[in-house]
Amino acid sequence: MEEYHNGSEGSFNSEEADGIVKECIESVVGADDYSQSQVNKWTASIVERCLTQLVKQGKPYKYIVTCAVMQKTGAGLHTANSCYWDTAMDGSCTVRWENRTMYCVVSVFAVAIA
Amino acid sequence: MSKTQVSRFKSSVDQERRHFYSEEIQPEVFLLLGNPVQLTPDEAAAMDEYQTEDETAFVVEEVSKIIKESVEAAIGGNAYQHSRVNQWTTSVVEQCLSQLSKLGKPFKYIVTCIIMQKNGAGLQTASACFWDNTTDGSCAVRWENKSMYCIVNVFGLSI
Repeated sequence: MEEYHNGSEGSFNSEEADGIVKECIESVVGADDYSQSQVNKWTASIVERCLTQLVKQGKPYKYIVTCAVMQKTGAGLHTANSCYWDTAMDGSCTVRWENRTMYCVVSVFAVAIA
Repeated sequence: MSKTQVSRFKSSVDQERRHFYSEEIQPEVFLLLGNPVQLTPDEAAAMDEYQTEDETAFVVEEVSKIIKESVEAAIGGNAYQHSRVNQWTTSVVEQCLSQLSKLGKPFKYIVTCIIMQKNGAGLQTASACFWDNTTDGSCAVRWENKSMYCIVNVFGLSI
């Protein structure tokens, strides 16, 4: 366990997570237009894929991945997150993606296991 | 982390993932997913220590009440206003978080809030969590008024 107490290995690498999430979004909805019948499937597969990729890294973290997909109709959307955790070890990363017909906001929260 | 340490930490429900759709959550689903496996007698005895103590469990009803109160207090009687939304989302999450930390339980919390104007647009949200099923939990609350929707998610991860 001692190796995980090293400071540089211990904190959450948000650039890496950012890259992983962008890849997952592109692969699921990259080329599609908003479709009400498919959106359920898309959100599920985005979170599923992101989680699998993150867990594959093998780091001692618990993960929470959330995804919101919204149709572009001029409506306003605001999101906020607040976290009560260990700021040295835990971290988060939020990716905003859009195409012609929809917005996609994915947040990853990683909480270190003691 | 070696395999033995992982299994000690995670107990019998190893690395189980749950996903749920925020739009479709019913309280009963949490109860269902909370009891998925048969424990061996040793594990059951160990778990009893944790399960009988309300002080260390994630209580969904309690958290749900806190969220509803915070949302009402922050945006209760208001109509959607682009200039104020930023302030509202911030105050909803901050109020929730401060009430939750006042509970004094050994949890780390993540609170997310989405406010959307009612415009006919479609919104779908989903979350997936990789955690310890026996001790961690989440709660989602959907609130609306005539001009906007507000969705608040709270995730509690035990320390």
